[in-house]
Amino acid sequence: MTQSRTPVLLIILLLVPALIGLVVFRLYPIALAVNDSFFNVLRGNSVFVGFDNYVALLTDSAFWNSLKVTLWFNLLINPIQIALALGLALLYVQNFKGVSVYRVLFLIPIGVSLPTAVIIWRIMLSQDGLVNGVIGIAGVPAQPWLTAESLALYSIIAIATWKGISYWMIFIIGGLQNISPEIYDAARIDGVKAWQRLIFITIPLLRPTLLFVLVADVSINFLLFAPIFMLTQGGPAGSTNVLMYEAYKSGFVFGDMGRAMAIIVVVVAILLVIVGLQFKLLSGRKEAR
Amino acid sequence: MKTMKIAIVAGLVASMLAGTAMAQDKTLNMIVIEGGDTTAMQAVADAYTATHPGVTIKLQPYPFAQFFQVAELRLRSKDAGVDLVYVDAPLVASYASRGFLSPVDAGISTADLVTSALDAGKYDGKQFALPINNSAQVMFYNKALFAAAGITPPDGLTAGATASQAQVDELASAKRWTWEQVADAARKLTVKEGGRTTTYGFTVEQFGELYQLQPFGESLGTDVIGPDGYTAKGYLDSEAWTKAATYWANLYNEWGVSPKSLGYGEAAQLFGNGKLAMLAGGTWNLPGLTASGVDFGVAPYPYFEGGKVLTPTGSWYVGVNAGSANQAEAFDFASYLTTSAEGTKTWFDKLQQLPTYKPLLDEISTGAEFDAFPNDVFRLGVYDSLNTAKARPVTAAYGQLQDAFRTAFVDIANGVPVADALASAVQKFEAAAARVAP
Repeated sequence: MTQSRTPVLLIILLLVPALIGLVVFRLYPIALAVNDSFFNVLRGNSVFVGFDNYVALLTDSAFWNSLKVTLWFNLLINPIQIALALGLALLYVQNFKGVSVYRVLFLIPIGVSLPTAVIIWRIMLSQDGLVNGVIGIAGVPAQPWLTAESLALYSIIAIATWKGISYWMIFIIGGLQNISPEIYDAARIDGVKAWQRLIFITIPLLRPTLLFVLVADVSINFLLFAPIFMLTQGGPAGSTNVLMYEAYKSGFVFGDMGRAMAIIVVVVAILLVIVGLQFKLLSGRKEAR
Repeated sequence: MKTMKIAIVAGLVASMLAGTAMAQDKTLNMIVIEGGDTTAMQAVADAYTATHPGVTIKLQPYPFAQFFQVAELRLRSKDAGVDLVYVDAPLVASYASRGFLSPVDAGISTADLVTSALDAGKYDGKQFALPINNSAQVMFYNKALFAAAGITPPDGLTAGATASQAQVDELASAKRWTWEQVADAARKLTVKEGGRTTTYGFTVEQFGELYQLQPFGESLGTDVIGPDGYTAKGYLDSEAWTKAATYWANLYNEWGVSPKSLGYGEAAQLFGNGKLAMLAGGTWNLPGLTASGVDFGVAPYPYFEGGKVLTPTGSWYVGVNAGSANQAEAFDFASYLTTSAEGTKTWFDKLQQLPTYKPLLDEISTGAEFDAFPNDVFRLGVYDSLNTAKARPVTAAYGQLQDAFRTAFVDIANGVPVADALASAVQKFEAAAARVAP
């Protein structure tokens, strides 16, 4: 058989649409944000201020509080979502009675749009809502789920998790189905227990999938905005005021685009560092399979 | 080839014809607030276009919660798709300072407008926006709920009675309830069944909004911010505001007489359903409440015992987008809306908002059709706007103030300690305001 040459032209042709999308919708806005973060609008005129907007952030307590909320939020939500998605995926590929009902149930949240889901949750979590009614039966007093400083962030984590895990579950299912059953058969013959199979076979072989899910999930949760905008507006007492919301308020409510863009650039920078670390930790070691 | 040429020529001619047609038929786009305002504006627009063939007025309604952001964005981007814009009184300075609005055409006569209302539409001595109407706040009370609880309601204007301007002046100057009396009554009027509140004693219409709550602290002697427009320390966290905010906190937490987190329009609904005994709200609720069939009276807006009587005022203005291509036509409609007898009357009849057009105010004070309830309520508005009205602070950082204030008062209602919430509001406002201060 003759070896055909690499179809360079075809490769370029196929990549062009994706590359155009990447440049127009990702790189260009980032460049715009970086540029705008060096300007302030004063009396209707754009004034170049260099790094002033960044320097101002250093002593800006609202920014630091918001950064703290963002990091704490992500430290909680990402491991929770991935662990639950992995658990659900492992259940999904089992064969037991009623598995099809289970499969349908856990795919439903994907079909519901985020704003709709948020509105439904808002009604369920209100003072006289379903959730308080249910816990009331058990004798627990009604809780201010979205209006108490101590609860609001966790309520949002719960809603975002409910909405997000089935989506991530699908990717993990794909990864699980890629692991060849012979490996499990061999392990079974060797008398390897179920939990050992999970830790020594499933998770290591799932690493590429988990890496993708982790990176994508972290990026999405860092940029999460809609539930906060719709439910708490950053309150109560700033407890849900993530950086995305702080930037939005600065730019679109106060008309202070310079500060908003500086915050956005900081978010992108943090995200790049985190994603870089994840790549290094999860795919850096090339071990023998 | 020949058919191609013909096609091109035909296309050119057609587009030129279309161009001239467009030059004659002007479409004015106006951004307004969804709901009653849009209905009223549509009525004025219909009356105007009936006598001005060739002009079409297209209203673009937005919900109240989004309106300020939409207006800010579209004006800032010099969006030519907006000719006329609704402007909230305290935002005139912010918009004008950034060149969003065209100075009002000198040919428009404003002699018939209330001077204080005109002044609030000025920036740097120049008129940038014209007042569509003024606003007045009153206290609605449900007579049946008071009777059921065995409490004497406040003195007020009620159905079946008439009141002259002199009688209304007497009511407003001598028989106004204090907030202490309101709290007292509200606690007796609130009904709780099995942990759920079925009847609330009292609420304000606009939950946590500066417009509604400014008289709370200011009637106790301290303005919400300093005269420079950028300082809140010593003002919003003063003793007066701490006392006012503590009262606010008690309404929700200590006494539990007010419902939390009411959205726009929800308080009036609650009152209309007979589940709320007292509502501090605007006179614009009159048509809706009358239609709801609930038996209610109207008392003057309360004040704190030992404090000064102050009432909310100021309302919506109309401005012309500096980026609009139809300046002359836009100003002509703005003038019709605010300075003509027909325009102001149509607006008033539809929306029942206190006018700024003097001939219409005189008609309210003296006209026989305003003797009977509920029209006599507007005489209360006339008294307050002449004697007790206190405008909101003039600052280019008004949006920042409004946001910090709302956040603090919503947080306080949700149980955040008063001192913490006010301190945080002061800090947030000053930090954000410093970025726009000259």
